[in-house]
Amino acid sequence: MEPASGLRLDHNHKLSLREFPYIVRWRDDRCKRCGQCTAVCPVKAIEATVKVQRYVSSEGASPAPKAERKVIQIVEQVTDMERYCTGCGACTLVCPNEAIEPEFNPQNKFLHYKNKGGEGYKRGGRRNDPSISTLDRLKFTRISMLTDPALDAGRHEFRIRTLLGRILPPEELPLKIENNKLSINKDSAKFIPPVREIYPIMIGSMSIGALSPPMWEGLAMGVSYLNEVEGMPVVMCSGEGGMPPRLLKSKYLKYFIIQIASGYFGWDEIIHALPHMVEDPAAIEIKYGQGAKPGDGGLLMAQKVLNLIASIRGVPQFIDLASPPTHQTKYSIEEAVAKMIQSMSMAWGFRVPVYPKISGSRTARAVLNNLARNPYAAALSIDGEDGGTGAAYNVSMDKMGHPIASNLRECYLDLVKQGKQNELPLIAAGGVGKKGNLAANAAALIMLGASAVSIGKYIMQAAADCFGDEYNRCNLCNTGKCPRGITTQDPKLYRRLDSDKVAERVVETFKAADVELRKIFAPMGRSTELPIGMSDGLSTDDKAMAKRLGINYAC
Amino acid sequence: MRAKKTGSKGQRVKGSKSEGFKNTDTLTLGRSDTIIVHGTIKGKRVPSRILEEQIQHTVQEGARQLHIISDGQHGIGGRIWSREGTVKIAVEGPVGQRLGSMGMPGTEIIVKGSVSDDVGWLNCGAKITVLGDATNGAWNAAAQGTLYVQGSGGARCDTMTKHNPRFDPPQSWYFRDVGDSFAEFKAGGIAVICGVNPRNPKNIIGYRPCVGMVGGTIYFRGPIQGYSEKDVKLVGLTPQDWEWLKTNMKPFLEAVDRESHYNELTKSSDDWKKIIAYTPQEKRGRKWLGVSLPDFRKNMWDKEVGSGGIFAEYLNHELSLLPYITAGTDRRNRPIWANEKFAPPCAYACPTHIPSHKRASLIRQGKLNEALELVLQYSPLPATVCGEICPNLCMQACTRARLDKPLAIDKLGELSLDLPAPEKAAPTGHKIAVIGGGPAGMSVAWQLALKGHTVDLYESSGKLGGKIELCIPRERLPHEILEKEISRFKELGVNLHLNMKVDKNKFKEIYSGHDVVALACGAHQPRKISFPGSEDTVSAYDFLKDINLGKKPELKGRRVVVIGAGNVGMDAASEAYNSGAESVVAVDIQKPSAFGEEMKIAMAKGTQALWPRLTDRYDKKDRKLFFKDGSSIDADFVVMAIGDIPQLDFLPPSVHTEKGWIPVTENYQTSDVKVFAIGDVTGLGLVTNAIGQGRLAADYINYQIMHAPRWPEIKQPIAYERIKTEYYDACRGDFTIEKEADKCMSCAACRDCRMCEATCYWQAISRVEHKDGSYEYVVDDNICIGCGFCAGICPCGVWEMVENV
Repeated sequence: MEPASGLRLDHNHKLSLREFPYIVRWRDDRCKRCGQCTAVCPVKAIEATVKVQRYVSSEGASPAPKAERKVIQIVEQVTDMERYCTGCGACTLVCPNEAIEPEFNPQNKFLHYKNKGGEGYKRGGRRNDPSISTLDRLKFTRISMLTDPALDAGRHEFRIRTLLGRILPPEELPLKIENNKLSINKDSAKFIPPVREIYPIMIGSMSIGALSPPMWEGLAMGVSYLNEVEGMPVVMCSGEGGMPPRLLKSKYLKYFIIQIASGYFGWDEIIHALPHMVEDPAAIEIKYGQGAKPGDGGLLMAQKVLNLIASIRGVPQFIDLASPPTHQTKYSIEEAVAKMIQSMSMAWGFRVPVYPKISGSRTARAVLNNLARNPYAAALSIDGEDGGTGAAYNVSMDKMGHPIASNLRECYLDLVKQGKQNELPLIAAGGVGKKGNLAANAAALIMLGASAVSIGKYIMQAAADCFGDEYNRCNLCNTGKCPRGITTQDPKLYRRLDSDKVAERVVETFKAADVELRKIFAPMGRSTELPIGMSDGLSTDDKAMAKRLGINYAC
Repeated sequence: MRAKKTGSKGQRVKGSKSEGFKNTDTLTLGRSDTIIVHGTIKGKRVPSRILEEQIQHTVQEGARQLHIISDGQHGIGGRIWSREGTVKIAVEGPVGQRLGSMGMPGTEIIVKGSVSDDVGWLNCGAKITVLGDATNGAWNAAAQGTLYVQGSGGARCDTMTKHNPRFDPPQSWYFRDVGDSFAEFKAGGIAVICGVNPRNPKNIIGYRPCVGMVGGTIYFRGPIQGYSEKDVKLVGLTPQDWEWLKTNMKPFLEAVDRESHYNELTKSSDDWKKIIAYTPQEKRGRKWLGVSLPDFRKNMWDKEVGSGGIFAEYLNHELSLLPYITAGTDRRNRPIWANEKFAPPCAYACPTHIPSHKRASLIRQGKLNEALELVLQYSPLPATVCGEICPNLCMQACTRARLDKPLAIDKLGELSLDLPAPEKAAPTGHKIAVIGGGPAGMSVAWQLALKGHTVDLYESSGKLGGKIELCIPRERLPHEILEKEISRFKELGVNLHLNMKVDKNKFKEIYSGHDVVALACGAHQPRKISFPGSEDTVSAYDFLKDINLGKKPELKGRRVVVIGAGNVGMDAASEAYNSGAESVVAVDIQKPSAFGEEMKIAMAKGTQALWPRLTDRYDKKDRKLFFKDGSSIDADFVVMAIGDIPQLDFLPPSVHTEKGWIPVTENYQTSDVKVFAIGDVTGLGLVTNAIGQGRLAADYINYQIMHAPRWPEIKQPIAYERIKTEYYDACRGDFTIEKEADKCMSCAACRDCRMCEATCYWQAISRVEHKDGSYEYVVDDNICIGCGFCAGICPCGVWEMVENV
């Protein structure tokens, strides 16, 4: 007969805390057992339990044992891999006594075990690589004090802007002179592509669904505020989750880039809103790839698809929503680019710039060269490996993708070779501000050849205090348990997040970045014209990097 | 020292005298003399350095009035200290940059025309009057002194001016206007722009003035077009300002020869405005954003996209914010006092589901009798089975075993030996037949009789007890215990039909005369495998039965082999030793399946197990048992203990059988809905299985005939991890009933210890006692934050956390 259940011991497959990525340091001497930490833990990695302590003491002149026994209540970290501590630190946040804190365990063997049921580890966030990225190794070494007019970032007027849209060279513009005045010849059959003047840092595509309502609305409000109140033409991409009709029909639509991706979510609702639009969107982005997870698609879990998401995306509630890694009806660059750009341009009467977004890749130049020949292509957005995502396989995030710096650089130099560097803007993304250096990373990319940069994870961290970092902290975006209320559809969690505050932080962040950009551009004598491709202003202390990027080596 | 210094300086000056003094008019200086210094000699411009030397020398020599006819020289009139009196310098002709730079107190410069850039640069006290315009950068970094400008100032005037508290603040007066970028980074000093006849009638202080200004005062009169609003503020004049302005206006106008404008300029303080820097406190206290976000949302966002924002139409919850720690419906998890939701491991493991934890609980409450009586509701043979022959699956499963040793449930069973039969329920009028008086039959009859049914029990032998009576060695079960419990059974009033062998006809009769027939006739036909010589072996069934009936075989000095090393084989082995056998070997084709007491006793007596062995033949003559592998063993006496099968030839075709056994549903119902089968007739099992099946079958039979609610439902066992063994100290020592009850961890059943109530930091848990004496622990949802401490510390695993949806 089998022994009664539960008595089988298997210490071999019982994990010790040493294998876990974060070890919760709990202090008995400070804890008052109020339970706030266990109540807030998003993954139930800690729980209350009891332990027994036994002491034997002896008092007096000869051995006289006295045994004392005490059962104490403690907060304990569980050793269940399905409930591993993600290190988010929500416990630390709520603890009134500073009695608890997760500590990163560099010796963890998390990836050895996080594959229960034969399923690879999935998460949100971005590449877990805490090393210094290329962008952070670039410095601005052309400091003009006496050689060029030195500008004062605090005193001089700056106008940091970029152009989104294809810019025709002057000789191709259908110009005419009438009464000694130069004007566009509107009778010409020549297509003049739409161009927007925007701020060179834009908020990249994060969908309604990936983001919670207050997060997305906070970003949208912040962007609108920057435009309306601060006069900074910051634009934001919708992500692939549609847009709420209230926004589609508002005048603020002009600050938004609408994304279309392989799942086509929300597009029938967008099309239904077309007759009611009072403004054109800033642009249309066609997503072909995502830097954070090339080859991996999106999956919005059914439990997140509640009324809000279902209505905006135009799907029933409580179903899984898959965005495949590839588009289903496009089989070649020519077809994909031509067909999609045509269709999307047509939707708004060719008044809106339409551009594709690809993940950073060895093949980016092939796409670029195709776009260069397409008169309707408005730009190319390249998303490098350090971009973020709401949900992906860890392997896709950590091991797939191309760093943005050299990818962008070779694309820009390709344009230079064709003499088209001022015609087709390149938008760079992926790890901008990864270590917090938003303006410096943006400026570096601009000087390598980007017309604009896109940010995602940075703004989530800056505007909503996202816990995530490159030590795999938190990264719960895919689970719907975001302790910050940023990437969840659970009202209990997202009602923690104040969209007004998010908007305010967006405004502060962009204003500060603007100040920093001036600080970088001023010593280079640039106050109104963006130093796109001004690579002589850049240096790095790595020879190979300098050679690859075609910039100066300085040490 | 001073004389010496002057002398040496004089010598040095003397050295250059021959060249340097050619352009001065006289070398004999009197206090009232005006010395004319020429910036051009014979059509040749004197270098700035030489002119400077001459001016310094002249003053050193005692000159106090200089008239300089300049030719664009740099820095004229600066750095002069007179030691006594005032040095007055009149300048005419084109002047170079930085006139009067680093000017010292006691220097007064009057320029008879316009000046070049940076007039009064780093002025430390000179009084400079410009009877014309000042160009760019006038008064830059001035720290003391006065600048009077008859005309306009150029771009970037008054930048970086300071006020050193040791001195009066610098003053700069512009009669007309100033150019762009005025007063950048101004840190102190007073600037006055009178705004008379300005070059730009719309703006008298230029484009973007006061960027970075942190101190000082600007008085101006006339229109302006903005200033650096983040640095400075525009205010009206106070009476003190006005007084100061009126007082100091006069000397300025006199100096620049514009006295006629005095009345116009001092007509009304309302014509004047003042710009002062924000204090650092004001700047820090300033709202970062011009429009607050709540205002933006209210007045711009919601107005455009609709009330409540872009998502409001889809959200069905309040739009207010929630804290991280919430109570009530906003909690993520909530606790449930799930008392007895799960079965304790003991009750779950017991085929009869005897609730030993309840027995312990009653004992702890001092209700000893109730506790011991409780078991009779579950089994008619607690002392016999629980107390003696059962392998006690309950104890094997007992949580306490994880700490020290299991609760002595066997001993608790024994204690029920002397109890009388419980009260029966009122008669129901239903008649039920039970065929077979073994443990299964007794159990089902017992349960049904307790429920008030009339039960007829048919037993082919003359005694109740079945195999317990017949086959279990008396050394494992003292006979008087069984007899006592059988007599209690008889007290219940079951109609016993002993020595009643049921055949086809009898069955038909029983079947038609009862509501339900329960088959519990066991397996009383020994199984035998046939091999050469198998006819010379004896079955364990017969071997053991004969012994229990008093017919002991004579085995003294004989070597016994038992084929089959299961528990029955072990009993046979023990009994063989008891009958004098010299040695007993149990052979099996696989690892012996025996366990528990049977095995222990047999092994203790010296039984050897031999496996795997497939029997080939038995040679009675050679007294050898041969195996298929060719080996053999000495065997004077061979017992075959490979199980028994039922005898079912009396059954009608409506009761389906399979390979000699009766297949049943989970409720022990056969293919004939009126016929149930329990115990060994459905497959060999333990006595406890037979009793459990009897109870469960009775329960279902009752449900079927009475349409009664079904009880007990089968509960899942509680996970061991949920029982907090930490609360209990490891014990050794003797059995006492009270101690044992206290040792019970009350798995899945509330001990009423109040640990949860005491633990809850938020005081959300309270104990509520009901009128019937029962109690429960309740949670105040408005206080509870869902921390799970109650669940984490509950000794019994009663509290559990569920998602709060």
